[in-house]
Amino acid sequence: MADKYLLEPDVEFINQIQGLGGDTLKKCFQCATCSVACPISPETKPFPRKEMIAASWGLKDRLVGNADIWLCHNCGDCTALCPRGAKPGDVLGAVRSYAIEEYATPQWLAKMVNDPKMLPVLFLIPVAIFLVLGLFLKAVGVNWLNFSPVGEEIVHSKFFHTWLVDLIFVPTSIWVVAIFALGLQRFMKDIHENALLEGKTDKETIEGLGFLAALGRVIPTILKHKKFSECGENEARATSHMMVFYSFLGLFIVTNCFFFSLYVLQAHGPYPQMCAVKWLANVSGIALVIGSCLMIKDRLSKTDEVSTYKDWYLLFIVLGVGLTGMLTEMTRLGELAGLSYFIYFVHLVFVFNLFVFLPFSKLAHLVYRTVAMTYVEYAGRK
Amino acid sequence: MAENSGSILVVGGGISGLTTALEAAEVGYEVFLVEKNPYLGGRVAQLNQYFPKLCPPSCGLEINFRRIKENPRLKVLTLAEVEEVHGKPGSYDVNVRLHPRYVNENCTCCGECETVCETEMSNEFNFGMNRIKGAHLPFEMAFPARYLLSPRIIGTEDAKRCKDVCKYDAIDLDMEAKTMNLKVGAIVWATGWEPYDASRIDNLGFGRYPNIITNMMMERLASPSGPTRGKILRPSDDKEPESIAFVQCAGSRDENHLPYCSYVCCMASLKQATYIREQHPNAKVHIFYIDVRAPGQRYEKFYKTIKADENVVLIKGKVAEVQDAGNGDVTVVAENAVTGEKISQTVQMAVLATGMQPTAAARKLPAGELRYNADGFVINDFKKGGMFAAGCANKPADVVSSNQNATGMALKAIQTLKG
Repeated sequence: MADKYLLEPDVEFINQIQGLGGDTLKKCFQCATCSVACPISPETKPFPRKEMIAASWGLKDRLVGNADIWLCHNCGDCTALCPRGAKPGDVLGAVRSYAIEEYATPQWLAKMVNDPKMLPVLFLIPVAIFLVLGLFLKAVGVNWLNFSPVGEEIVHSKFFHTWLVDLIFVPTSIWVVAIFALGLQRFMKDIHENALLEGKTDKETIEGLGFLAALGRVIPTILKHKKFSECGENEARATSHMMVFYSFLGLFIVTNCFFFSLYVLQAHGPYPQMCAVKWLANVSGIALVIGSCLMIKDRLSKTDEVSTYKDWYLLFIVLGVGLTGMLTEMTRLGELAGLSYFIYFVHLVFVFNLFVFLPFSKLAHLVYRTVAMTYVEYAGRK
Repeated sequence: MAENSGSILVVGGGISGLTTALEAAEVGYEVFLVEKNPYLGGRVAQLNQYFPKLCPPSCGLEINFRRIKENPRLKVLTLAEVEEVHGKPGSYDVNVRLHPRYVNENCTCCGECETVCETEMSNEFNFGMNRIKGAHLPFEMAFPARYLLSPRIIGTEDAKRCKDVCKYDAIDLDMEAKTMNLKVGAIVWATGWEPYDASRIDNLGFGRYPNIITNMMMERLASPSGPTRGKILRPSDDKEPESIAFVQCAGSRDENHLPYCSYVCCMASLKQATYIREQHPNAKVHIFYIDVRAPGQRYEKFYKTIKADENVVLIKGKVAEVQDAGNGDVTVVAENAVTGEKISQTVQMAVLATGMQPTAAARKLPAGELRYNADGFVINDFKKGGMFAAGCANKPADVVSSNQNATGMALKAIQTLKG
């Protein structure tokens, strides 16, 4: 070994990874079983053995901006075979949650989203925004938040006007996109530099068209959950993840359809039950509830894998969105007006949490993993 | 010599038990050596060579057997198992079960009975790699040098044929199991070890691929008294392997199997590399390891010598997967942790360096007062005295350390008798 390196361990980083669910990382003795056990690890420079030593030595730069941590789907095959109980799967999960926080702006909000003590605040934020904005508009003569909606039929927009919903959620979607754009700018630069450093790519630069083409090739893999189902230990997880994934996709389509019908066709909800879009909405809603319940059950029964606050927060929000959504509809059909309006309000609070805090919660993996997988495809990694 | 205040029981006739028994007997104590097999020598008897001197264990064992023959104070009981132990340090009451051998001291090892016997069975001394007759000598150098009849042929025509053919009236089909009572002042448990069951290591393919063998099987293949008369041939087609992979820490230092290091496997694989290099000069040897443990100056020197051989490649990275490569070959997969590249090495034969599990791990020894650690090794209580574990019943060890330990335990036993 003629090369000499000066290691600068970041002890604080090690502590944080241990706190985020990677408390076992120091048990690793670098036998490299994990890199072979992993069914989706590449042939050259496989993970997670190298990530384990980087974590142990506190080499933050080798981990946070490393696309490989996102290739891992945390199936647990490495953890099952690990001779030391070092749980590489959980360590990579912890590094990912650190990375999400690292690339998010503003940092204080990221810290808040991942702090259990701040959970009530996360819920109070949307409540406050809804009420303050609604009451302010009321004061200036715009009655979009009406606490005594009239009429035989229960129509949620009579209580919480769709324009108020959109007044809040349209700007926040722009904010989510902007935060991701900021994060991705740094993320892409970092993962490319890391790939060059570790010899994982032969591409000099990231070229736009080529990258988009790679995205096109990666999307079917994601849709089919192909990587996910290669895992041995946690095969069942692919099913529940797929249910939640497709129900979100379904609900995204539904939202866009109704947005179109409202603003272009001027047709107001509630929409008839026989409408095809409504069908999609109902099926997706049910799948969301069942899928997230399965995920919770899976986590509760898996004692050899760590579940941290970030996992539970996201599952809670996802289940909350699904349950309150379905209950809103059921109470409306059951003509329980007061209850239905209340549940709708709670539903909007959950949706706000899911959506507005997306760049800071575990759900950000949706973006980072997709980009990392695309980069790896683009980089020609084998 | 001061007056003896009692006798010593040594349980297990492997290298540790032999040493304890002889050391105590040679300074004047009455010693009973109880061995469950029909022969002495234990695991060492199965080895081809010792490391690092590469001399055959039969040589060292022969010296010990001669010491036994010359010592009237040492009584050897083979095919014997301790059933019950009662009492306290200084006075133990021990029941020993003696299984029938069906062959008495008239036996000259002429082998006539073996010739006429028709029943064949798997030879466990060679880990099932060949078959033996119902009447057989455990192995060529066996001590006591006496045939035995397997209980499986008793009551059959085969047994009668054996008896009829014996010219020396050495076969006694009426022998029965009996119990013997011994009064001793101290007991040394030298109950040794079992090779860890390699078939439990799912990802390493033992039992699925015939050419994946264990290190102890390799000793038998290389041994002149082994199933191939010492020629290293792979089991599936008796071909001379041109490439061999050694898989270190197979089920060792692994929480899912044996959590500890068995101490000898690194040295054993380095030694076995010399067997192969000597027999097949062009063969390539690949040793996959987590870290090579060659403790002490002599072992370190041995390691360096093997490492200098350009046909021996040492790769830092544990094998975690094996695949069928066709024609009986196997591919072992590891990550080279130095280069960070995944290696798929196809070899004609693979040897799993499996570790040692104390005999007591499967079944506790028949003495209530013994204490064990979580892995089944006996924890010696020197303050209490009376009973001690020697050799690999106490900790994983090589032959040298076992002998040092066994000598020490002979002294501990004597101290108990002296009160």
